[in-house]
Amino acid sequence: MHNLHAGQWAIDAEGLSVSVDLAVLTASLRYFDAQGGFAALVCEAVGAPLPQALRAVRAESVTKHVLTLVWRSPTETLLLCEDPHAFAQLQQRLAAGEDGCMVDQSGGIRVLRVRGTRTEDLLARLGANSVAPQLGEARTGRLAELPVTAVRTQADEVLLLIERVYADHLLEWIAVTAGDF
Amino acid sequence: MTATRLAAPAGCALDRSQHLSFQFNGCTLQGYAGDTLASALLANDVQLIGRSFKLHRPRGIMSCGVEEPTGLVDLGEGAKRTPNMRATLLELYDGLVASSVNCWPSVGFDIGAVNNRFASLLPAGFYYKTFKWPSWHLFEPAIRRMAGLGKSSGQRDPDRYEEAAGRADVLVIGGGLAGLSAAVAAAEAGADTLLLASGATLGGALAWRTDTQVAELIGRAKRSGMRWMTRTLAFGIYDHNLVCARETLHQPGAPLAARGVLRERLWKIRARAVVAAAGAFERPMIFPNNDRPGVMLAGAADRYAHAFGVACGERVVIAANSDSAYHVAASLRAAGMNVIAVVDRRPQVDIGAARSVPVRTFVNAGIAKVDGARAVRSCTVIAADSDGARPQRLECDLILSAGGHAPAVHFHSQAGGKLRWLEESAMFVPDGAAPGLWSVGACAGVFARDTVVEHAMQLGAALATGRAVPAAVAGGAGRSLAATHVSGVPGKQFVDLQNDVAVGDIGLAAQENYRSVEHLKRYTTTGMGTDQGKTSNVNALVSMGEFTGREPAAVGTTKFRPPFAPITLGVIAGRRVGALYRPLKRLPAHTWHQAHGAAFEQFGNWLRPAAYPLPGESLESSARREVIAVRKAAGLLDGSPLGKLEIFGPDAAHFLDLMYVGTMSNLSMGQARYGLLLNENGIVVDDGIVARLGPQQYWVNTTSAGVERTAAAFEEWLQCEFTTLRVLVTPVTSRWGNVTVAGPRAWDWLASVGFDPALAPSSMGHMTLRDSLLQGIPVRVLRASFSGELGYEINVPADQAGALLERLWARAGDFTAALYGIEALEIMRTEKGFIHIGTDTDGTTLPQDIGFARALERKAANFVGRRSLLRPAALDPNRLQLVALSPLDRSTVLPVGAQIARGAPPTQTEGHVTSSYWSPELGRPVALGLLAGGSRRLGEKIRIHHLGSVIEAEVVKAPFIDPSGERLRA
Repeated sequence: MHNLHAGQWAIDAEGLSVSVDLAVLTASLRYFDAQGGFAALVCEAVGAPLPQALRAVRAESVTKHVLTLVWRSPTETLLLCEDPHAFAQLQQRLAAGEDGCMVDQSGGIRVLRVRGTRTEDLLARLGANSVAPQLGEARTGRLAELPVTAVRTQADEVLLLIERVYADHLLEWIAVTAGDF
Repeated sequence: MTATRLAAPAGCALDRSQHLSFQFNGCTLQGYAGDTLASALLANDVQLIGRSFKLHRPRGIMSCGVEEPTGLVDLGEGAKRTPNMRATLLELYDGLVASSVNCWPSVGFDIGAVNNRFASLLPAGFYYKTFKWPSWHLFEPAIRRMAGLGKSSGQRDPDRYEEAAGRADVLVIGGGLAGLSAAVAAAEAGADTLLLASGATLGGALAWRTDTQVAELIGRAKRSGMRWMTRTLAFGIYDHNLVCARETLHQPGAPLAARGVLRERLWKIRARAVVAAAGAFERPMIFPNNDRPGVMLAGAADRYAHAFGVACGERVVIAANSDSAYHVAASLRAAGMNVIAVVDRRPQVDIGAARSVPVRTFVNAGIAKVDGARAVRSCTVIAADSDGARPQRLECDLILSAGGHAPAVHFHSQAGGKLRWLEESAMFVPDGAAPGLWSVGACAGVFARDTVVEHAMQLGAALATGRAVPAAVAGGAGRSLAATHVSGVPGKQFVDLQNDVAVGDIGLAAQENYRSVEHLKRYTTTGMGTDQGKTSNVNALVSMGEFTGREPAAVGTTKFRPPFAPITLGVIAGRRVGALYRPLKRLPAHTWHQAHGAAFEQFGNWLRPAAYPLPGESLESSARREVIAVRKAAGLLDGSPLGKLEIFGPDAAHFLDLMYVGTMSNLSMGQARYGLLLNENGIVVDDGIVARLGPQQYWVNTTSAGVERTAAAFEEWLQCEFTTLRVLVTPVTSRWGNVTVAGPRAWDWLASVGFDPALAPSSMGHMTLRDSLLQGIPVRVLRASFSGELGYEINVPADQAGALLERLWARAGDFTAALYGIEALEIMRTEKGFIHIGTDTDGTTLPQDIGFARALERKAANFVGRRSLLRPAALDPNRLQLVALSPLDRSTVLPVGAQIARGAPPTQTEGHVTSSYWSPELGRPVALGLLAGGSRRLGEKIRIHHLGSVIEAEVVKAPFIDPSGERLRA
């Protein structure tokens, strides 16, 4: 088994690169109404409205940092942010919301970056029937027996979001699969 | 039979420039690239392939494809050996090693063949009525040893398998003329089309001929952009058009795979529409000794001749029931083989082909006898009616069966389609389309070539464009009789060659009043095994109809179930072997625990330290040492798996009141309370601690194993019942690690590494929660205890869990502290009489059964499960109730699961032991149990039964230690 504590985990195979991005901070944005006050607060802070169902967007925050918003359910959007300062600022701003909240999930959700021409092949061999996302999509399904959200906000990259406790299992599955490429 | 290679142009599938060497039963033989193992064996005149399942009769190659019932071999050696591979499907490679199945010491001299001498003792269902005295178990081992087919290696498979997912608008199963036509039409009409072909090339049954139409279709397929996969066998269609297929990447046992290779891939493909183009199987004729090596299907012999250049015999007799016999006769003669006669079971034969083939024809006749034990030497032909001409003996070495066709309706049936009997050609064909699946070609009962192509093309285009799909018009297979055998002749006439089921066995089943074809299958075993009756099913049900006075349509067919053909267990398991067998949750600081000697075990899908044994220490003694350390000083536990939920919303307090037996709405900020979670039947399903973080925000701890179901239950109640409540439930178990410090010196230890003095016991009471910082890291500290000692559950960002453990551990020596695992925790909570949901409760346990009657009385507000607690059964004083138990001898640890009963079993039991340990603190065993009316039986002596022994115990008062709770409230 691979273990993230042992160091940065990465795979580089022909046409495929997979790495774990430990720097990404994550949070659940929870709200009762995607058009409500909290949603408006998010839009103001992030610079983009909450994504539609099954969609993901890259946005630039008012602090000029790139953020990714990933639709997870009608009452939840996942926020990905690489800058701790911007993340903290968002926490402060969104704390004022009364009909929603920002729940820090940093460290609890692992972000895998998958790049290369064989990305689709890898996803298919992890069992993705409906998970493989098109540009701007966020799809949650079963990969390697685990619930994984696959996100594509850039043409050349798919993000796999996996609960931390299962990350090692997914990484091992990817490693043995890539070993047979 | 004397088989030989034919000269080119016969053998179009072969590359005669590439010689391949292989071994069969230790003999080195030669073949060509393009051969199958079956064709290569036949070319080497190897007729005897194996022994039959029950009677150990000699068996050879019967077919040329997936339907093969007898040509089974064990392939490969050692760990690479794969049993029961069909020689007809195995592509020959240099170095292939195969051996016969079910024979000892050799296929030529098989001791088991004695079974055939006593065949009368082994009729259908013999194991239901013979070998019963004095005991079936006396005979069973020998019978099992004698029966069966190939043997697995018993070693770990070194090869790898994987699973992949695919999608298509139109998925076509079968790469023959019909499948290609449908796929090309669909692709040309714009559909994303995928075709699965089980063979190495496209073309299906026509792949071995020079067929311009197939060649043209392949060209169009390439231009159309359609996708296809060869060596990919579709084996099942499941709900919502999910088709499963096995792609063979490496032949099993291939030498290049010595270290293990990716051998097979399981495809799970979703398609908007599925087209089945699986072809048809030839139906064998039934006559005495029709199982001899040298008796095979006519179409197979034709294919061996043309595709593989093998003349399977020198003098050929065709036993027929179908027009196809004459086409095969002509084809074989064209290949240079000597067809000496066609023995046609039908009373009249009137087709052009019969007239055009210059071969002796016996009409209304059948084969009454086959001479030769391991090969055919001759056969005897008699008239089908009793007043016919006298029997005639024909010298021959190859008898071919041409009994008509049986469309491969498997996928149609799997998809839920109905079948109908087509009298003219004596075959079952699809009765309309199945949901989401359409059949084309022979598997739809369409045999006329032009009609096949036209229908498949129209269907493919219609599926692509959403137009109405044309119906298949079955026909073109010629005329066949349903019955294939001549009655009244002596000798075993086999219906199912793989399972040694003869016509007599079908008759016996009918005589014993088996009428349903499903019962017939299970009683006689016809249609079972690796071939699943592809060549026997129709003959079996026709025979059944004859014995019971019914037409085949009235007898019906058994249900066709996946898999269509055998697949390996490996491809089903895929990557789920070894470390990937099942997903296990890992602690954030897993490697830290590894480095500190943790002995990991699985607890509710988590891999957790059970204990930290020192060198020479057992798990048990380690746990006892750890308990003493916690009780006397302090201990460190990784409690990260503890379920964690954040509850937010203006109605959060009210919602938690509804969900828990305890009242949570009156908690002040930072206060925490234990709660029991019930389902609507009042059954205890989880427990935990609820703490208030803010006016509309709560922190909920659940059991480690129960967090997913608790979160799901919360969501279900919110979405389905309490729909007006504004509450958000967010699982955060992965976000937070949990480091628990317990013991009388717990705070001293925490203080020594810099925890805020405001967290000291003097300032922070039991069951309170504080957010704090440790070196700038946010920590959420809960004063609670499952050990019974002063305890701090420190929730820390998961990425920091290892660092906190290390920081604390660095000072452990100052406090004679120890790491402790789940085993020690279990001992301590049992000493305290704390329940463990699922261990000390079962699917009937109510709150009052585990001592929560007062809590129920105190709570006036409604909550989930409350009404069920008022049912008469819930108020029964003799319910199973949790009690503490102590053995009278004060030394015997009560076995968990042991039954409590007044008398010796079997008898009515009164309960059972649920948790039991040796208490290092008390120096004697402690236990909990569920006991009928237990709350009223304090001090009562009980008897505990375990594996024939009786242990006397007493119902005692819980907890065993610190009854006033001074320690944990310190």
